[in-house]
Amino acid sequence: MSKTALIVDDSRTMRQMVAFTLTNAGFTVIEAEDGKDAVSKVAAGTKLDIVVTDLNMPEMDGITLIKELRRLTAYKFTPILMLTTESAMEKKKEGKEAGATGWIVKPFNPDVLLKTIAKVLPT
Amino acid sequence: MNVENVGKEGAGGSPAVESTTQPVLQASQQAWESFGAEAVQMIPILQAQMASVTQETERAALELMGHLRILASSSETVTAAERSASLSQVVMAMQFQDITRQKLEHVGLALDQLQRHVQALLKGPQNPEAQQEIAVLQRVERSYTMDAERRLHEAAVMSDYLEPVPIETADTEADSVTLFQGES
Repeated sequence: MSKTALIVDDSRTMRQMVAFTLTNAGFTVIEAEDGKDAVSKVAAGTKLDIVVTDLNMPEMDGITLIKELRRLTAYKFTPILMLTTESAMEKKKEGKEAGATGWIVKPFNPDVLLKTIAKVLPT
Repeated sequence: MNVENVGKEGAGGSPAVESTTQPVLQASQQAWESFGAEAVQMIPILQAQMASVTQETERAALELMGHLRILASSSETVTAAERSASLSQVVMAMQFQDITRQKLEHVGLALDQLQRHVQALLKGPQNPEAQQEIAVLQRVERSYTMDAERRLHEAAVMSDYLEPVPIETADTEADSVTLFQGES
């Protein structure tokens, strides 16, 4: 059974690049254009194996999204990777405190993204 | 506007009017000079940020062309591993759009700040609303999200800055990935 990934990014091209990488690796992909859209798409308790989210987005940013997801029992331990152009230490710290599992700086290398996902997925 | 000349032109008026007009004009001139100094520093920075967008776009286009040639080659000349590596590089190069979009958005924000500053100054520096508007204007550095933008900004404010600084992006795993799992 394929694993499900939620991809959250306000850039359509970025979403497509991540979706292309993950679907080629056998994932089923759900796309959301910002945190608010993501929350609405998982409101029904959709099973998620991994979340890959951007940081700076309209409506709801990545940090707020992580906090929202961590409040829900279903996503308390779901691996969440931040995928962003931001690389400042203080932002990473903020992400870690919100409950992010890891941080990847864009532009992402597809092989590195898949390797990182494999590391954080529960065995 | 030259405050000294304006003051002399007003010499025909009463001394009382002159004594109240002079400080207002001086404050106005100081506010415009302050804006001018900021704009003079800001414009080359914005030009440099836009030049880096051109460089980034060109670099990505050239990379894409190179990898397209590999992907279009026959299976006799290119191995499956080389094809897969090229595909990964295409995905990386394609992300220039997201990076250049953000850089241009930040240039747009800075131009918006300059416009709002001018609009506030036109209300008059003594206007409390204008003073408040100027006080809350953020510095362009605060909108940056990329190290490349911050480095370019620092380079562009140097007096000997001439050409856009080449922007290199880290694509090694060690540089781009941080895992928080297991950290205390």
